[in-house]
Amino acid sequence: MNKFFWIDKQRGIAKTYIDLIRDLMSIKSVPHFLNHDNPYELYVSLLASVVFSRNVDIVDSDLSRTEKENLGISKNHDYEMDFSELAEGIGSPEKLMNLVSSAAGGWRLGIYTSGTTGRPKRIEHTMESLTRACKIGDRYCDNVWAFAYNPTHFAGLQVFFQAFLNLNTIVYIFETTPSRILPTIEENSVTHISATPTFYRSFVFAGEKVNERVLGVTMGGEKFDTSLAERISSIFPNARIRNIYASSEAGSLFASTGDVFTIPTRFSGKVLIGDDGELLIHKSLLGISDDIILEGEWYHTGDVVERLDENNFRFISRRTEMINVGGYKVNPHEVEKAIREIEGVIDVRVFGRSNRVTGNIVMAEIVAKNAEVKPYIESEISKLNKHFQSWKVPRIVNFVDLIEQTRTGKKVRK
Amino acid sequence: MEEILTKMINEIMNKKGSQSVVELKTDASLRNDYGFDSLDLAELTVRIEDEFGVDIFEHGNVDTISEILKRLGANE
Repeated sequence: MNKFFWIDKQRGIAKTYIDLIRDLMSIKSVPHFLNHDNPYELYVSLLASVVFSRNVDIVDSDLSRTEKENLGISKNHDYEMDFSELAEGIGSPEKLMNLVSSAAGGWRLGIYTSGTTGRPKRIEHTMESLTRACKIGDRYCDNVWAFAYNPTHFAGLQVFFQAFLNLNTIVYIFETTPSRILPTIEENSVTHISATPTFYRSFVFAGEKVNERVLGVTMGGEKFDTSLAERISSIFPNARIRNIYASSEAGSLFASTGDVFTIPTRFSGKVLIGDDGELLIHKSLLGISDDIILEGEWYHTGDVVERLDENNFRFISRRTEMINVGGYKVNPHEVEKAIREIEGVIDVRVFGRSNRVTGNIVMAEIVAKNAEVKPYIESEISKLNKHFQSWKVPRIVNFVDLIEQTRTGKKVRK
Repeated sequence: MEEILTKMINEIMNKKGSQSVVELKTDASLRNDYGFDSLDLAELTVRIEDEFGVDIFEHGNVDTISEILKRLGANE
C-alpha cells in the first residue's frame, strides 16, 4: 500500500504514507513549541513527538505576539531524536499507526484556546482525549478527508487523527481560494469534510455542480444553519450532514443530524443541564489545565440550552458576552480596552452584529471628545490589526453622543 | 443605488489597502475580482442592510454586483 497521506496543492505537497515514514526517519530533533507555517511539517513533528513520547505544545497560529509573550511561549528548546533505533518499529504505515496509537500513554499535547473569557488558555490533552470521537475500523479505510480547519486548533487535530488512524488521505483545503475548493474536492475524490459553517458558506454557493462522492459533511463551532445545510445537501446529495458540539476544553461531545443534540449513554452522569439552562460538563471529560475554572467537579460551558427530554437538548445562546465571528470568539472587553486608550475616546461599546456570512461581525460605538478627533480615532482603530487578529477589529465604527446602558448599568451588547 | 454601493465597496477595499473601483462591473465577483474575504462580505451585507433595509443573503448566497442589485430590487 502506498496511499497518499497529505495533499496540499498550494504548497506543491503530495506525500504518500511511505514519504511520511521517510520524512519522519530523517528528523533529528523536534522543538517543544511546534510552530510551523507548513501544516505537513507541523504534523510530521507532532507524530515524531508521539513516537518518542515527548510532550509538546502546538502554538496556535492565531495568537498575537503579545499573547505568545504573555503565555511564555516565545522561548523554545529542542528534543533530540534518533529514529534509527526505531527503523523496524515504523517500517510500514500500519506499524507507524499502531505505534502512534499505542505509544501514547504518557504523551501530552498542549494546545491553546480563546476559551470563554477571550484570554488564551493552555489545555493539555492526552491521545485518549484527542481521539475520543475518532471512529476507527475497516469501513473507514477508504475515506478521503478534506482538511478545512486551522491545523493548530483542536478541531484540526481531530480531523487529522480521524484520518491518520484509518490511514486515510488528507487533502488540505483550509487556505484554498474559495473558487478552487469544490474543484479540489472533486479532483481528489474527497469523501468527508469537516468545517465551520462560515467555511462552507465561502464555497458551497459558488458552484452548481453536484458531487456524489462526498458521503460525510460535519459542521461545528457555530449555530446550526438550516438553509446552509439544505444548500450542502443539494451540492453533496449523498452526504450525511452532522452537527458537532465540541470545545477545546473537552473535545467532541455531541453529534446530531439537525439542531437537536442527544447526550450519549457513555456520558451518563457526566453532562448536566443546570436549572438556568447552562450546559455543565464533568471534569473527567476535560483536558488538563490550570486555566479551566471548575465549580466543584463541573465546568460551566457558558452555553444555554433548551432541554427537550431526558437526553435531548437544543442550543439557545451563549451566556457570555463573547462575540462569535465565524467560530472565533472575541471578548468585547479586550477590544474596548484597546480603543479606550486612543486619544480622544470618551467611551466605547463593542458588540456583535449578526449577519448570514460570518454569524457576527464586531462593531463599535464611540463617544468622541469632539468632531475633530473622529478621523484620527478611525485611523487608529484600523491600525488595531497590528495588535489583534483581524476578526477582533471593529469593521464598522459609529460615533454616538451616549452609550446605551441596561438598568443594571451594564453596556447593552445585543 | 449603484453610487452608494460603489462607495461601500471602495471603503472596504481601501481599508484592505486595495485600489478603489471607479465603476462597478455588473458581472464582477466580490470574492474573485475584488478579493473580498468572509469578513469583507459580512461587513458589506451589514452596511447594505443598514442603508437599504435588505438582507442580501437572506435567500442564499450572492457574489456578483448584479446579484446584489437584483436583491435590492434595482432591476425590478
